[in-house]
Amino acid sequence: MKKLLFVICVVLVSAAMLFASGAPEQKKEETKVALGSAPVTITFWHCASDDAGVLMDKYIKEFNETNKYQITVNAIYQGQYSDATTLMKTILSAENYSELPDIMQLDATGKVAFFDSGKAFTIDDAEAYFGQSIRGDYLEGALGNWEYSGSQLGLPFATSTTVTYYNKDLLAKAGWDHCPDTFADIIKLSADMKAAGISAAAYGTVPNSPTLANWIGQLGSYIVNYKNGSEASATKLECIDNGALKTFLTEWKAMYDAGALVNQSLSTNQFIAGEVAVFTNSSANVSNILSKVNGAFEVGAGTYLRVNDSASYGATVSGSCLVMFDSGDSLKKAATWEFIKYMTGEGVQVDFAIGTGYTPAYKSASDNAAYKEFLAATPQFAVAADQLAKTPASMRSITIGPSVDFYYAIQNEVSDMLSKNLAVDDVVKSMGDNLQALLDNYHRTNP
Amino acid sequence: MKMKTRKNLKVLLFLLPILLFAVVFVYYPFIRNIVNSFSLVNAKGEIRGFAGLENYRYTYGRKDFPQALKHTLLIAAINVPATLIITISLALLANKRRRLSPLYETLFTMPMSVSMSAACMIFKSMFSPSVGIINYVFGLKIGWFESKETALAACLILTIWMGIGFDFLLMLSALRGIPSHIIEATRVDGISPLRRIFRVQIPLISPTIFYVFCTNFVLAMMTSAPMIIIMGVSAESSATNTLMSMMYQSGFSSSDYGLAAVLSITAFVLTLGFTILSFVFERKRVHYQ
Amino acid sequence: MMRLKTKNAIKDTVVSIIAIAIGLIIIFPIIYCVCGAFKTESEFLTPNLLPGSFSYTKNFSDALRKGDLLRYIGNSFIVAFFGTLIRMVLSILAAYAFAYFDFRFKNVLFFLILGTMMIPGDVLLATNYLTISKLHMLNTYFACMVVSFVSASQMFMLRQRFMSVPRDMREAAQIDGYGDLSYLITILIPICRPVITTLFVHSFINLWNAYLWPLIVTASKPAMRTIMVGITKLNSWEDENYQLVLAGVCISLIPSMILFIIMRRNMRKGGMEGSLVG
Repeated sequence: MKKLLFVICVVLVSAAMLFASGAPEQKKEETKVALGSAPVTITFWHCASDDAGVLMDKYIKEFNETNKYQITVNAIYQGQYSDATTLMKTILSAENYSELPDIMQLDATGKVAFFDSGKAFTIDDAEAYFGQSIRGDYLEGALGNWEYSGSQLGLPFATSTTVTYYNKDLLAKAGWDHCPDTFADIIKLSADMKAAGISAAAYGTVPNSPTLANWIGQLGSYIVNYKNGSEASATKLECIDNGALKTFLTEWKAMYDAGALVNQSLSTNQFIAGEVAVFTNSSANVSNILSKVNGAFEVGAGTYLRVNDSASYGATVSGSCLVMFDSGDSLKKAATWEFIKYMTGEGVQVDFAIGTGYTPAYKSASDNAAYKEFLAATPQFAVAADQLAKTPASMRSITIGPSVDFYYAIQNEVSDMLSKNLAVDDVVKSMGDNLQALLDNYHRTNP
Repeated sequence: MKMKTRKNLKVLLFLLPILLFAVVFVYYPFIRNIVNSFSLVNAKGEIRGFAGLENYRYTYGRKDFPQALKHTLLIAAINVPATLIITISLALLANKRRRLSPLYETLFTMPMSVSMSAACMIFKSMFSPSVGIINYVFGLKIGWFESKETALAACLILTIWMGIGFDFLLMLSALRGIPSHIIEATRVDGISPLRRIFRVQIPLISPTIFYVFCTNFVLAMMTSAPMIIIMGVSAESSATNTLMSMMYQSGFSSSDYGLAAVLSITAFVLTLGFTILSFVFERKRVHYQ
Repeated sequence: MMRLKTKNAIKDTVVSIIAIAIGLIIIFPIIYCVCGAFKTESEFLTPNLLPGSFSYTKNFSDALRKGDLLRYIGNSFIVAFFGTLIRMVLSILAAYAFAYFDFRFKNVLFFLILGTMMIPGDVLLATNYLTISKLHMLNTYFACMVVSFVSASQMFMLRQRFMSVPRDMREAAQIDGYGDLSYLITILIPICRPVITTLFVHSFINLWNAYLWPLIVTASKPAMRTIMVGITKLNSWEDENYQLVLAGVCISLIPSMILFIIMRRNMRKGGMEGSLVG
């Protein structure tokens, strides 16, 4: 019996090992075929759900019907961004490259994995391959978000920035007729609200890696070196020695200590219910907020809160981009190139902006008549566009390997500082050590 | 000798199918995972060298590891007895057949028809601040999943709720399976109902209790869905992180496969160890045929 | 005599009412889900339980349209039904061996199977994907369900159940000329039908909601996706649109509810012939 079982186990394990050792990959010869000479189908993975999903289907149908090159786009919804990223990582780790799409929608969580894939067909690659330069057509602030380790990974598709929403009615009761601009303003507003007998909180949020990168960016610094990882994989923290983190934390704690800040991630519903006067959230949320508030109070929108008076204006971008994979097939590549230009170009971007509230990242969209009319009708949308145009080109969101861990660590360190009333210097030190350890571990496993 | 071989062959036929799938789709990947825990694994999942115990040292040395371990054990320590008490009580309440039995038995069992992910969405909405019904009913204004004090409690309510339907059904069928002459005998002897429950009924359904105990313990140790689906990357997630949610978020989402391997092995060893201990205990206390 | 009867009847009524009240509390989340699905967006902002009207069905039609749910329901059914079926067969066979045979390494093998419960699926994902792709089984229904064929908790439950069936029953059957397989099929399974039905329903519902793994192995065949993929398609990028998601959840609950109601009788019949007890 024992022997029999042993033999079976050995057979099973070795059978399983067989699957593991795969055949070597074959290299395909790439011959250039002119676009339009033959029908071609490309695969597109996207994560567009709800209203965005309906729009996405519309653009794809439109492209398939109107393009002159016999291109058919086979669009596949791959779940939420994190699921699509997991899928991509799984396929890459199995080296099953034939399952990869030609073009894919990606959010910040997938940047590093895409870059490391070895199958990325970046915008730098494409521009050289097709001999065209197109990046001048896009807003620099939006492009910068999709730059990692010196490569332009993709082109912006859904672009938003964080803006400040405020409850005009509540603010008016406290004698305010404008949007608070700095953290100090929030403290003043809170005092005025209390004096006017308003019980709602003045402001509430918890800083995390994107928002901290934004605020540190306003102070002219980066969280990590190489411009927050956009020029090369980051190795060190950069906001410690120059005091940027300390400045931010000091101002943040002052808000909390003055009773002006709720250190909780508030939901849109709480803002709509009038529980908080000032709320910072994605600019793409405008239409949703307006429709839910439904006239119960007037919604104002302003540029993203600044850390202090000397901080610059500007907001880092979030949202999603489109990236291309190298299929090794020139016809597909050319078709994908046409499709990516269509999706990020003026027509789609303006329509998408009007339908969802995202900001077009294509420069000429700002002169588009339909878009201008839309902005004139709902001025709250204009804030994000203006803010994006004003954002300094040097400002970058943060891209690092251990992105989720960074996100947590920042949130937790800030929460602890407030709830346990820790000294700012100690928090700077512990946050610095904690984040540096995460970076070091990333470089230990990815030499 | 021939007899014995035949019998062994028979055992093999019964066990081979499940073992085949267990080995190919669970243990073979798990062995690779064990190898990963001692290796330098890069973000693409490729092994880039030997790491010795470095992954273990790093994982156990992380600030959030003790927290995650504490939450995991806490969830198990609360979830298991709570589920047992609730389902046994419900089963005792429903034991006797009454006219309305089918109605309330169905009600008690119904949570079974809801999946974990659906339940997460429902609970998230129910417990949400300002629009949630729980705050409305109790006149509260707290964000259950949004504040560190209540997030773990809300997650526990969810996981306990998830277990009610199935476990109640098992308890009920076990209770009803107690031969009626035994219960009659206690009536004749004039034993008080409370005594009857603790001295007769509960010992007699101990195999079911043991099963519910073990499976609930394992499920509790593996809890991650509410943490990932509801808490996600929110600021309060540090109040609820478990070994499994840490593995998912710091391991998979951040492509640190060494850390993921260490955490999964840690949870496996803890859970298996405790389960084996319970089986040793079972030999002494659980009554079968 | 008469008085005792009335007294008992009153007691039963009181207990029944209490039990129903508790039952309503227990299923409150489900009631809440159904009510929420009928609410308009603005009604959802006021935390009343009841919607303005149960004739507001826009959420359902939106869920069906945006999530493409009808298209996915069939796939979920195939995966859940056949996955459960195979799973049951494997579990029953193994449970029988563990309950009735004595062999070497019995304990080791038992814990080997039980151990599969204690390994999180996430760590197996990449390797299993690789195995499936080497077997050229990507984009098949088989791939969607293969990782759920082993269910330790089912096997364990069945073993507990089989062990409480009197042993003399098997011996008597053997004397009558039943082999193990025919005893299992013609006698043991009918006796244990309530437990088996319960496990079937439980497992069907679990597999019905499988999400990440089927998504990954059907990357290039969206026509094979399961219903949870459709539900995620209802999530808005920017905000929680609960009413739409709850409508989607309601739709996804319908088939499991139907199964649950059909099987209810069988499940509750439990223990007629001596359940989990000797």
